[in-house]
Amino acid sequence: MPEWNLEIRKHLAGLHLRPEREEEIVEELSDHLQQRYEEFRARGANDDAALREVMGEIYWRDFVPELQILERTPWPDSEPQGAPASGRFFDDLWKDLRYALRMLRKSPGFTAVAVLTLALGIGANTAVFTVVDSLILNPLPVEKISTLAAVNTTLAKKTAQSGDLQAISYLNLKEIRERTHSFGRLAGHSYPMAVTMTDKDQPRRVFAEIVTANYFETLGIHPFLGRFFLPTEDTTPGVAPVAVLGYTAWQNRFGADLGVLGRTIRLNETAFTIVGIGPKGFKGVYAVFGPDLWVPSMMAEQVLPAEQRNALSDRALPLFTGIGRLEPGVTLAQARAELKITGAALEKEDPNVNEGKVLAITPLIEAAYGRERQPVVFGGFLLMAIVGFVLLIACSNVANLLLARASVRRQEIAVRMALGAGRQRLIRQLLTESVLLGLSSGVLGFAFGYAGCRILESLRPAEYAQNLADLRLNTPVFVFAFAIAILTGLIFGIVPALRSSRVSVSEVLKEETRSPGRSRSRVTLANALLAGQVAVSLVLLVVAGLFLRSIEHEYIIDPGFQTKHLALFMLYPGQAGYDRVRTEQFYKQELDRIGRIPGIDSVSWASNLPLWGRQETGIAVEGQEARKKSEAISAVVDTVDLNYFSTMGIPLVEGRDFSENDRDIATPVAIINDTMAAKYWPDQDALGKRFQLPQGRAFLQVVGVAKTTNYQTLGEPPQACIYVPLRQNYTDSMILYLRSERDPSTVLSAVQEEIHSFDPGLPVEDIRTGAKVIDQALWWSKIGVGLLGVFGFLALGLASVGLYGIMAYSVNQRRREIGVRMALGANQGNVSLLVLRQGMTVVGIGVVVGMTLALLLGRVLSRFLYGVSGSDPVSLGAASLALLVVAFVACYVPARRASRVDPLVALRES
Amino acid sequence: MGTKVEEEWKKGSADLLILSLLEDQQRHGYEIAKLIEVRSGGALHFHVASLYPSLYRLEKRGWIQGRWVEKSNQRRRRYYRLTAEGQRVLGLQRKKWQEFAGAVGRVAGVQHA
Repeated sequence: MPEWNLEIRKHLAGLHLRPEREEEIVEELSDHLQQRYEEFRARGANDDAALREVMGEIYWRDFVPELQILERTPWPDSEPQGAPASGRFFDDLWKDLRYALRMLRKSPGFTAVAVLTLALGIGANTAVFTVVDSLILNPLPVEKISTLAAVNTTLAKKTAQSGDLQAISYLNLKEIRERTHSFGRLAGHSYPMAVTMTDKDQPRRVFAEIVTANYFETLGIHPFLGRFFLPTEDTTPGVAPVAVLGYTAWQNRFGADLGVLGRTIRLNETAFTIVGIGPKGFKGVYAVFGPDLWVPSMMAEQVLPAEQRNALSDRALPLFTGIGRLEPGVTLAQARAELKITGAALEKEDPNVNEGKVLAITPLIEAAYGRERQPVVFGGFLLMAIVGFVLLIACSNVANLLLARASVRRQEIAVRMALGAGRQRLIRQLLTESVLLGLSSGVLGFAFGYAGCRILESLRPAEYAQNLADLRLNTPVFVFAFAIAILTGLIFGIVPALRSSRVSVSEVLKEETRSPGRSRSRVTLANALLAGQVAVSLVLLVVAGLFLRSIEHEYIIDPGFQTKHLALFMLYPGQAGYDRVRTEQFYKQELDRIGRIPGIDSVSWASNLPLWGRQETGIAVEGQEARKKSEAISAVVDTVDLNYFSTMGIPLVEGRDFSENDRDIATPVAIINDTMAAKYWPDQDALGKRFQLPQGRAFLQVVGVAKTTNYQTLGEPPQACIYVPLRQNYTDSMILYLRSERDPSTVLSAVQEEIHSFDPGLPVEDIRTGAKVIDQALWWSKIGVGLLGVFGFLALGLASVGLYGIMAYSVNQRRREIGVRMALGANQGNVSLLVLRQGMTVVGIGVVVGMTLALLLGRVLSRFLYGVSGSDPVSLGAASLALLVVAFVACYVPARRASRVDPLVALRES
Repeated sequence: MGTKVEEEWKKGSADLLILSLLEDQQRHGYEIAKLIEVRSGGALHFHVASLYPSLYRLEKRGWIQGRWVEKSNQRRRRYYRLTAEGQRVLGLQRKKWQEFAGAVGRVAGVQHA
């Protein structure tokens, strides 16, 4: 029986039918030919004659183009697609869209790979854009943020540094409001402060901001429910205990209960009535961290810790940041000029407090970050650039796929041109296809982005998740995703569309079967795109590697205090309604009793959290008062109890620790760190020297010098620090520090029980181990590095899929050539090597370009790195190695397939 | 092998011929070709290149439907049957063909059978 199958397959090959379809046709036709053959034989023809007769009847020349048109052009539409523009835009668009849909459905493999590739790119961009939009571009859902400005004080000598902004006292804020006309409204708000909220007997730590009654009005926001504060509620201290809940706190802490209005909650043992709920998404004016609720400024005394209780009457006690709404037509510069005059007047009227200070005005969008702004903005835009590159890789992958497909579709396009389609019309049709592809990827990508944002939100430290900014997938994000989906469709579609529409009808239609179809320029373009992908992935991997190494170094920074055996308990006895006597008794008793719990080495109290120290300005050194007030000394001030230094593992280099005897207020003492000693008493013994704190009149005598540690950030430059003894400096919000013998987590519950047995009404929510303190300090960097890593590997993955796809395609196209080579004596090794060399040459070029770019970029990045240089050989080496290995695998698989080409089959194919 | 003109005529009538043959029972491709040849007394001959594209086209239009049938002692074959839509189209085409043939006949002075 003649080999019909082979003969038929040979002619169908150029059509690139789906394998199942091709199989069916082959089976049906060969059965037909066989019956015909038997018919001829039955009539008496011999084998050869019958075969000749059957073959002579087939007319492949008619058959193949007929089938081509049939399989490639859509039915049941009888109108030829790609017809000349009908002039009816929407009719054409509709037709193009339906056609494009059919084309995409017809090659599900291609569509799936393309959509997934692009969706990953679009998803990454959507997620990062959401972060950038929520944190940098539109951090605060307030009205016209461009006309809002923050008012602070700062030291005269450095007005430019936003990092040194300080709050304004209530009295000064009032003066400024009365004297300034640049602002239509000027409100004030405090930092979010920890308060104890008791609702139905359950005490919890929440954050409250003290605000003036016009705060919400100034920001131009409206309550979600109820109302904000009335002016009358903010005129007399202590008479209007009302509170406004934040939307998130209402959702999470009150279960979105609509009956919450009018309900009474206790804040630090004072009953407050909830009068309103803030708008959705509003968490104060700090971009990153916000309060759970707001109380009017006249209730300050009820929520502030003991040492700040006279905030409303003490001009030296800074509490508020001013928020001003510029009058229409007034510029920031004009407001700044006016505030300069006001500041000077204040300085003159009350030199004791205001000397050397000026008023600083910052656009709210910048003030929303404080000193964090620069790294946040930098990180945001770096990530944006990175995901942009990831998307470019995805685009060039899909462009390559389309180029490869273009050679398959040449006949279809030629047929359509023969039927009268113009080139423009064809390009439009092809672009419709790619934009449709982009849009479908956009839908999936938006879903990816949404999932990414939820994952990011779930990574927020649980203790503060409710107070941290939410990622908002809102209209701008949606518009952004939609726009990049269309844009990517155009980017990856335009070149292939231009190319494939440039076919010569007669040439292509004459080609009965497949052509080599490997035009030189097409391969060059594909290779250039590939090399570019390799280069960009390498750069991304190097950047991720650099930051990973940097954070690794940050983790091993010695903060100057021990963290392995450290645990902290944030307790607010003052907020549980304790008076001074009871609080002091509590401090003393717990020190004693917790110290006796087995497994605990040492216990102490301190007012500052590790790495959360705040600088105070206006310290005066005895004998150096001649200094101008504008050159006031600043230092971190920490109130600590006995054994603090041994608990923290901070060595004393000179003098002594605080003792039971440092109780007498008549001889106040202090311990300073060696940085301060060297700075203000150079070449002398600091012991016995005296200085004044900003609020105090008395001189403190230095009795000890401790080693400098990190107070605000890990790896910071050394800064001055003053420790004062708790027993001479009462405050009712102290943090319990303990040093355990082993892993601190083993003693946490015993300590909790002990505190609970003293008073079940004391909230013991916020417990941290030393490792967690470090973790939290590095949280931002960790998230950033994590994202960089994810995007780096995403880029690598996409690039290697692209590499594999192009290599496999090229091997498939070169089967005949490879067959010839093998027929002429090349062995499998030669062929593998040939393909590998082709692929790895492109990779090599990409690596060289990428390496150059990475080195250039490393220079820019080096100031954001800690402990690694921008040209760190480990990062560069590891990234290139990872890339080369993956690229090698991507080339090796097609190379092996090439070496398995059977020369007989390959040569017979055409 | 027919002339160019004959080919065109054949193409124009192929749909009608195939649909008619499938009206009363399902048939496979070879059977259709054979029947056309026999019933036309050898005047019409459909070879592979013209028959199968026509079959596929009719199938795509939803006028006929093919399915694989296995019978004992032979390879499985693809049988085509007329769909309801095909039935309707067949009626329509028959009418049109009658009109057309009649018109041609009247013009050309040929007695229409």
